[in-house]
Amino acid sequence: MQSSKKTNTAKLGIGGPVGSGKTRLIEILVPVLKKRGIRCGIISNDVISKEDAERMKRTLATESKLMPEDLIIGIATGGCPHTAVREDPTINLAVIEEIQQKDPTLDLIIIESGGDNVMTTFSPALADYFIYIIDVSGGDKYPRKGGLGIQTCDLLVINKTDLAPHVGANLDDMERDAKKIRIDKPYQFLNCKTGEGIEKLADRIISDLLFDKELLKSTVDK
Amino acid sequence: MYMNTNHEFHLMQLSDSFFPSGMFSMSSGLELLINNKKITNWNDVLTFIIEQIEFQIYPCDCTVLSFALTGVKNNDLNTVVNIDKKYYSMKFAKEIRNSSTRSGKQVLNSIIHMMENHDNSDFLYEFNKKIESKETPGTYPVILAVGAVCLGIPLESITRMLLYSFSSSIVSAAIRLGLIQHLDAQKILKLLAEPINKLILTNEEKNLEDIWQLTPLTEIYQMNHERNESRMFMT
Repeated sequence: MQSSKKTNTAKLGIGGPVGSGKTRLIEILVPVLKKRGIRCGIISNDVISKEDAERMKRTLATESKLMPEDLIIGIATGGCPHTAVREDPTINLAVIEEIQQKDPTLDLIIIESGGDNVMTTFSPALADYFIYIIDVSGGDKYPRKGGLGIQTCDLLVINKTDLAPHVGANLDDMERDAKKIRIDKPYQFLNCKTGEGIEKLADRIISDLLFDKELLKSTVDK
Repeated sequence: MYMNTNHEFHLMQLSDSFFPSGMFSMSSGLELLINNKKITNWNDVLTFIIEQIEFQIYPCDCTVLSFALTGVKNNDLNTVVNIDKKYYSMKFAKEIRNSSTRSGKQVLNSIIHMMENHDNSDFLYEFNKKIESKETPGTYPVILAVGAVCLGIPLESITRMLLYSFSSSIVSAAIRLGLIQHLDAQKILKLLAEPINKLILTNEEKNLEDIWQLTPLTEIYQMNHERNESRMFMT
């Protein structure tokens, strides 16, 4: 990616229920994007701690040295995860400005919402692209039940596909319901444990958020 | 001056918890005080708010608001910048300083957005430039003063609003921390009206050297809260 100063870094919002794999998704997405030359900053909203941010500092900065530790910032949201990314995103916007001041050449800032319910959405002022992630262990009824997050996100991700046979979740039903409820909007299955589907997800982000066709070819395909 | 037939509407707008100021993420040390059983019931919450107002918010934040408002009215950018720096230097807990400047800058952004194409918004842009060039921190009470002048809100009203917003954010935090229920919260706010009014009406002459605050125990708890692994609130 270009290294000149950017005035408006692209912003990716990731929301979803507690335990659906938001943090893990970021942990496997950032290395894939990095391989394609895309440099990220991360804001992690957490309801009761900064544990997710601390974990990503360890996995993405200290251990793998993929990014500087000070580009991963945790925010405690006062028990209001949806407020922090929707009605009053001020704290997140302020932290985005701080990250941009630290490194104006970043390509992407990823904002992880605190675990919340199916009505989670991101303020358009905060995220240019919104991924809502659910997992099969929450029940295969999830896509069918809908909710603003599932219906209006730019990409619905259904995670932990490997667990489907163990929790009695029918992936065909989930796919049928996702197609029905999202009409023309995309969805995709993902297995954050094995990484299956992550290159495709990176392609979507590059294509639909970063608009950089040169980087579309996944490193796996090369 | 911005023509405003009724400043009360804008006052309500600024004091509404819906106004994007980030106040929902702050407990001003209440979270750790509750966790450590220093505050255990609704009456303790009331006492905590009164003491914070009497020994910190009124003598410091409200005085800063007052001097900043005069500075904005006089179009005296240097004075407002000096007051802003002074306020920032008086907040010992890092998260309290950060929260004040994060809220302040975002509230300023909102006011700039609201005031687009209005005649008297020059000071907004000049002050914003000072923040962006890091010549001034952009703290919440100073930004509130800038907004009050732009929206035609008088000092007494914006001071009452600052004290109400602080009180409201604390009782809201107490509800979310599970200490009090919603009816107690309204009782606390009702009981705060009189002491807050008395403070506002004292109307004593002040100068910049009169800005003070003395809540050492709360500040120690605020600093310890910063290092707490598990917490709901930023402050």
